[in-house]
Amino acid sequence: MRIFTLAALALILPASAQAQDTIIEGNILSKCIINTDNQGVYGNPTPDKLSTTPADGGVEPVIRYDVAVADFYLARITTPTSFSSSPTLTDTVSWTGSTSVGEVSDAGMSAYETNKVTFEATTEFDLTIAGTTRFDVSSVAEYGAGKAFPGGTYRAVVQAECIAK
Amino acid sequence: MKNWVIGVWLLLLATPVASHELTPTYPKLQPSYVSGLLTAKLNIFNARRDIEYYEIGVFTFDWTPVPFATTSKILKVPHGTGYSFDIFVRERDRDLAVYVCTLSKLRSDKAQNAIISSKVCSKFGGVPS
Repeated sequence: MRIFTLAALALILPASAQAQDTIIEGNILSKCIINTDNQGVYGNPTPDKLSTTPADGGVEPVIRYDVAVADFYLARITTPTSFSSSPTLTDTVSWTGSTSVGEVSDAGMSAYETNKVTFEATTEFDLTIAGTTRFDVSSVAEYGAGKAFPGGTYRAVVQAECIAK
Repeated sequence: MKNWVIGVWLLLLATPVASHELTPTYPKLQPSYVSGLLTAKLNIFNARRDIEYYEIGVFTFDWTPVPFATTSKILKVPHGTGYSFDIFVRERDRDLAVYVCTLSKLRSDKAQNAIISSKVCSKFGGVPS
């Protein structure tokens, strides 16, 4: 019986001593994710002004870009130049807007602010570092010649684009 | 107690995810089962609670629209789901078609007054060397 047990053990032991390498593979695929962290709200500090600036009672839209691989994407953010819906307006509206780099996941991303390119209402950032970047957007609409905006709901659209380079 | 505090802290930190993504970044146009047409497969994922519909567009390098075919140019992608779609481009437009984009479609009855529209564009031609 003892011999039989030893023989069985001898059979089992070599098998248990075998080792196989299990390979775990993974790919980081390049992709860009646009997150709307904060939709933004216009405040109405004076009758002729709508503003997303917190000092004016507004809330600034915050857009977060997550890129998995560095240097594959451009972020392009366009501030509003018209209302998508509003009461009937009989005078011109003067628009100003800006986009700036907010919280970032990598200190090197602060360079995005100095390297940004602005044309008309659009600001372009070259996403050269992988990770998360938040952009703070501000938008101000002023009604012509100090007139009061007519009562009603005003909506404007901020366009956030992520374009493969 | 410590775990409970950490749990509450994590809950407070968590912000609602509202994202839009399009993959792959560099799709390849390949011959399709229809002669004279090239095709590429893309995937969209919608984690934006405020968006249900996305519009597909194909553009040249200077953003001129390029004719293309797909099952539906406006896709219904409910929150938290993904959708795969094929696009077809004429073989003679192979060099014209540079970008394929998905643009979020905003509803006119949204309650908030400043709204963010998102557009993600992939580029044809495979991963650049």
